Amino acid sequence: MEIRKLDQMFEVLASRAKKRLVAAWAIDAHTIVAVAEAVKIGIIEAILVGDETLIKKGCKDHGIDPAIFNIVHCEHDLEAATKSVALINAGEGDFLMKGLLSTDRYMRAILNKEKGLMNPGAILSHITVAEPKNYHKLLIFGDVAIIPLPDLNQKVAITNYLIKTAHFLGIERPKVGLLAASEQTLPKIPSCADAAIISKMAQRGQIKGGIIEGPLGMDLIIDHESAVIKGMKSEVCGDADCILFPNIEAGNTFYKTIVKLLKSELCAIVMGARVPCVLTSRGDSERSKLYSIALAAMLA
Amino acid sequence: MKKLIEIADKAKALGKQTRVAVAVAEDANSIGALCRAASEGFVHPILIGNKSRIEGLLKDYTLPAAGYTIVDLPNQDEATREAVRMVKSAEADVLMKGLVGTDKFLKEVLNKERGLLPPKAVMSYTCALELPKYHKLLLISDTAVLPNPDLEQKIAMVNYSVKMAHKLGISNPKVALITATEKVSSGMPNTIDYALISKMAERGQIKGCVVDGPLDIFLACDPSSLEIKGVDTPIGGDADICIFPNLETANAFYKGLMLFGDGELAGLIQGTSKPVVVMSRSESENSKYYCIALSCLMAEEI
Repeated sequence: MEIRKLDQMFEVLASRAKKRLVAAWAIDAHTIVAVAEAVKIGIIEAILVGDETLIKKGCKDHGIDPAIFNIVHCEHDLEAATKSVALINAGEGDFLMKGLLSTDRYMRAILNKEKGLMNPGAILSHITVAEPKNYHKLLIFGDVAIIPLPDLNQKVAITNYLIKTAHFLGIERPKVGLLAASEQTLPKIPSCADAAIISKMAQRGQIKGGIIEGPLGMDLIIDHESAVIKGMKSEVCGDADCILFPNIEAGNTFYKTIVKLLKSELCAIVMGARVPCVLTSRGDSERSKLYSIALAAMLA
Repeated sequence: MKKLIEIADKAKALGKQTRVAVAVAEDANSIGALCRAASEGFVHPILIGNKSRIEGLLKDYTLPAAGYTIVDLPNQDEATREAVRMVKSAEADVLMKGLVGTDKFLKEVLNKERGLLPPKAVMSYTCALELPKYHKLLLISDTAVLPNPDLEQKIAMVNYSVKMAHKLGISNPKVALITATEKVSSGMPNTIDYALISKMAERGQIKGCVVDGPLDIFLACDPSSLEIKGVDTPIGGDADICIFPNLETANAFYKGLMLFGDGELAGLIQGTSKPVVVMSRSESENSKYYCIALSCLMAEEI
């Protein structure tokens, strides 16, 4: 089934075997409440790694029965991160989530060469799935958070993550727009040049599983009428499932515009590790955190 | 068009005499090819150099006196300068190198005040190949001028070759950008340039042709290879033009075909305001005749 609304992920997950979330240093109310909600609606099982006393207090404060979780006791945040990653590597969990520890420490545990979650040469990136008001389907895009200025190889990796995410959401042949300053191939503008190169690579079958077009301006990617006016015949135009951003500023601004100006829902995960990783920020809504957990479970 | 002789037919069909100014017109080969074109009525040679030597060479041919012009300038530098001046001032339509060194000749062509290259124009070289085993003429670039063309120069090579194809009556030529593989990879910078150029053409930034690359020579010129390799390209093994990544590759390609494939060629300098014929001594007299015919077509404003 093709997911067209974020809520539909819950239906799909409810019909599947539950994936096991491992939450690192899950001692804060934000994390506990979001995970509890996901457990209660029956889409995941959860292991909370952290100080047992603090976790139980957090549960009590929010009227949550701690028995719905498996709790693995740890004294410190760093130890919790290492332990969580070890649980994943031991096959006791299917995906990871960050609790109250710093993003830096969380990422370091993932990236650790011997004990982490990375395959050699893998590229870690951040993929967002949004449900923007006024658009007729979900929009999957990246990278808005991890790679500031992706080079060509990193852009290819991100494009592959976008396509993979779309596939897991039931979109068989996702349409990927490669965002640039102009739809012209202007070799001196890196966003245009890289987009042209990536779209050629796709034509040559070096990137599979989707329909890829670029360079394209945002108007051509999401608005069919603009494509008609400009005479662009690509089937991606006006009907994109995915957008590759040329840099973090463009991606991050788009992300925040969707949340704050359009008041639309979105969710995100980190891809490139052996399992999907949830990396919510304190600013995210409860709903958004729940969606992010669901998204990671879809891909786990 | 399958044979170079058809270029001469087209030149004859122009129904006019193109004025070819020859700098130091004192070598037998050039005079022979020019006299053939002149006797067929599509060229009026303007022979600049040592008058007595030129007349000595002309004795072997039976051109009517009105069929050519001699300008007596025994000094090579002066003869070359005069030939370029005549073309620049529209007293002649085509410039041709005679018995003068290529360096000296091109230096005059490239001279900023007196020469024929517009400011910022890229000078390059395109030649038309007749190949017994290919079903039509194949234009290739750059076999002679640009050792290591950058992106901008490659784009110029495409545009010049397309213009030549148009003059030969090929209205929407298929341009293949040649390298060793059809895959795009940053480890092979030419494949990156080619991806950009083919995307530029797709976006209408290069007009009047169909462009695809990177491709290897099989995918460009052999339809049966498409299926074997599973590559979808609008060139379809039917290229009119092959652009090569550097001079060594292009040069070895055409010389190999001359030597082992019974090929024949006609080439011209590109980028100048008027056609410039520079032939190497090793070229056959036929080849020189085709070059002259090609220059007559290229001199036409269409």
